[in-house]
Amino acid sequence: MMKRSLLALTFALCTLGSASADKVITGAFDQGPGGAPGQFNPLTNTAGFTWLNKYFSTLVLYDPAFKKISGDLASSWTVADGGKKYTFVLRDGVKWHDGKPFTSADVKFSLDLANNPDSGSGFAAKFGNITRIQTPNARTVVLTLSKPNAALLDAMTNFMILPQHALGKIAAKDLRNSAWWRTSPVGTGPFKWNKLVPDQYVELVANADYFRGKPKVDRLVNRYFKEQAAAVVALKSGDIDFSYLTLDDTKTFNGSAVKILEGSSQVANYLGFNNASPLLKDVRIRQAILQAIDRDTIVKQLYGGGAEIANCPVTNSKYVPKGINAYAYNQDQARQLLKAAGWDSGKSVEVITYYSDQLSKDVLVTLQQMLGQVGFKIAPRFVDVPTYNQITGGSDFTMVYAGIGNGPDPDTLYPSMHSDFIPPNGTNRMKVSIPALNKLFEQGQETTSASTRTKAYQDMCALVNKQLPWDVLWSAKRFGGVSTKLSNFIWTPAPAGGRYDDKAYLWDTK
Amino acid sequence: MGLYTLRRLLISIPLLLVISAVVFTLLQFTPGDPLDAYIPPDQVLSAEQRQILKVDLGLDQSKPVQYFKWLGRAAQGDLGYRIKNGQPVIEELGRRLPPTLLMGLGMTVGVTLGIFFGIVAAVKRYTLLDNTLTFLAFLGISTPAFLAGLLGMYVFALKLGWFPAGGYQTPGDGGALDILRHLILPAMILSVTYIAILMRYTRSSILEVLFQDFVRTASAKGVPSYRVISKHVLRNALIPVVTVIGANVANLIGGAVFLESIFSWPGTGQLYLDAIDSRDYPMIMGTTLILAIIILLANLITDLMYGLIDPRIRYS
Repeated sequence: MMKRSLLALTFALCTLGSASADKVITGAFDQGPGGAPGQFNPLTNTAGFTWLNKYFSTLVLYDPAFKKISGDLASSWTVADGGKKYTFVLRDGVKWHDGKPFTSADVKFSLDLANNPDSGSGFAAKFGNITRIQTPNARTVVLTLSKPNAALLDAMTNFMILPQHALGKIAAKDLRNSAWWRTSPVGTGPFKWNKLVPDQYVELVANADYFRGKPKVDRLVNRYFKEQAAAVVALKSGDIDFSYLTLDDTKTFNGSAVKILEGSSQVANYLGFNNASPLLKDVRIRQAILQAIDRDTIVKQLYGGGAEIANCPVTNSKYVPKGINAYAYNQDQARQLLKAAGWDSGKSVEVITYYSDQLSKDVLVTLQQMLGQVGFKIAPRFVDVPTYNQITGGSDFTMVYAGIGNGPDPDTLYPSMHSDFIPPNGTNRMKVSIPALNKLFEQGQETTSASTRTKAYQDMCALVNKQLPWDVLWSAKRFGGVSTKLSNFIWTPAPAGGRYDDKAYLWDTK
Repeated sequence: MGLYTLRRLLISIPLLLVISAVVFTLLQFTPGDPLDAYIPPDQVLSAEQRQILKVDLGLDQSKPVQYFKWLGRAAQGDLGYRIKNGQPVIEELGRRLPPTLLMGLGMTVGVTLGIFFGIVAAVKRYTLLDNTLTFLAFLGISTPAFLAGLLGMYVFALKLGWFPAGGYQTPGDGGALDILRHLILPAMILSVTYIAILMRYTRSSILEVLFQDFVRTASAKGVPSYRVISKHVLRNALIPVVTVIGANVANLIGGAVFLESIFSWPGTGQLYLDAIDSRDYPMIMGTTLILAIIILLANLITDLMYGLIDPRIRYS
């Protein structure tokens, strides 16, 4: 009996010892706007990159400040033929998690898959003009485009390269929901897939053969929470080491166990107008709306200072020209403009939004009151995403309150503002159709000169600021909380949790 | 009774048919279709890609065809695949039911304690003990589940650190003890509501019986009071209590959503909400069917229990 309990004790101590030697970082990596919990197919995902890029890699990636693109799987690249030919040289000695060598064939395979309509990939819209993919040798990929696309590298930062040897046998159509993504995905990232416990967590283990060095921690765990509040409590209680936070959450942390990280959301919030509807066709009405809103007060009172006023949808300051109209708060002028445009102050306009958080509700109630003061009645209506998509996919709506992420490259706005993408052909849900705007977007893609490109987007910003197909209001900050136990941890709010060099292989924990 | 049970089960079949047809019809009136939910608002898909998806998900067929196809498969035990991730509906439900049933432990504890405190309160009516219990019961009934959940989590997980702050298991562990450690807090909070409700029902139900002639007669004959309560009073008083318990089984399966959310508990309530949110027709239909079956069974068991408690009740 004695012997048996001694044995049990020894065994317990042993497991305790091995457990403490195992370095684990647990986080709610899919919490917040950049997350896509339970979605593991990088071809169809439009978010969740914070997590996917822990085990998959891209050819190129941004630095955490989103200023510069550098190589990841590609060691270098050149652009030739007026922006129509991209040559990527791949890094040497990269291995898939199952030990097979990574080659240019994998890159070709991945791009072909993205362009195959059966795969359901949204990347097709970005890679559609790739006409030819050549692989002269195992280390080189040459892309030939039908027309220049200066935004291709930006798109590549979110495009995960997939293993041909593992996926080549599965038909593109079956790949969309294949169990492979959830059971045995193979990537080239710093961590390897270990297991998924559905609805609860995913566990990755260190990839000792990672091409930039063996990760410092043994395991990386992504826990799922249905409620943001639950993730915050878990962070506070030390159950997890990282979570996305809202502005309100950040105020509830005190002490030194959690460090608050912050950065630009790279999302512009706007009042969008159905540009095909005659109701708000007069630009004076759209100006009046913007001038009736005291944005300074909203940013100060509701956002607690955690937002920046924006006057065009471009969030990267490099592309915002100086001297655009700031539409300063002026109720008298708003009233005059509405009167001049013959607006009927008895009319009420429905504003649809898919936002459901408290802050957005407060914002809409405030907007309702401010606009009401100048004689423009709005009625907010909160709907879920499928309803929003259905309504704005049609023409039976007037106004929306929404957000558009555009990150470091304004080309991301192309499908939301170019007339080619008016539903059912795409996501220009506000039916913006301004030929000069179309031209500027096309120019931004087609030019190879950086200065011409900057000029094109500055002009685009100025044009939107003048014609107001949307009334852009502000861009909010986003927050994350990380346990002070962690070191070398890098997290930046990014569109869709986007791909930037977070050096996860260097993350460490005490 | 066997014949009665069989008849009740047979009646359930047309009932389930009607339920599924009604739910399917209602779904058609919900704005936004599965495709709108499946494709994120910012994902650019060509009309061709949309069409491929539509055909693939069977959404290109007419509504009645969609329904009868679903029905035909459901009759053979195949509830189809989730639109959201292509997983079999049955598998998802199968995974979510055990956590929900574990939560049922909270209900069992609640029912037991609720009836017990109800008896105590009735027997000691209008004393300080009764008043205190009544006060606590009202507090329990009027505290919304999500508030109780957040409070419980704040006190027991965050401040005292006795229990983990939500989740079903510790990543990498998941043994029976580990799950139990995660279960205790939400189950305890869930039980509070049941204790409160059942205590009130039991108390008033017992009081109604307590002053009837046959109870007085039994007491006058010198039967010990615990026997009077257990043999004479309880048998008569428990009928409405059993009804309440039966009705709450449905509540547990579909209604513990708040607690499931707060505690990140992977139960059926969350699954149902999630399915509705993503207009996942096969998942909604499958979950409805299974929930309906469980509720019908709970009702049947409740009715059968009446006969066990009060032998005067006959089934014919």
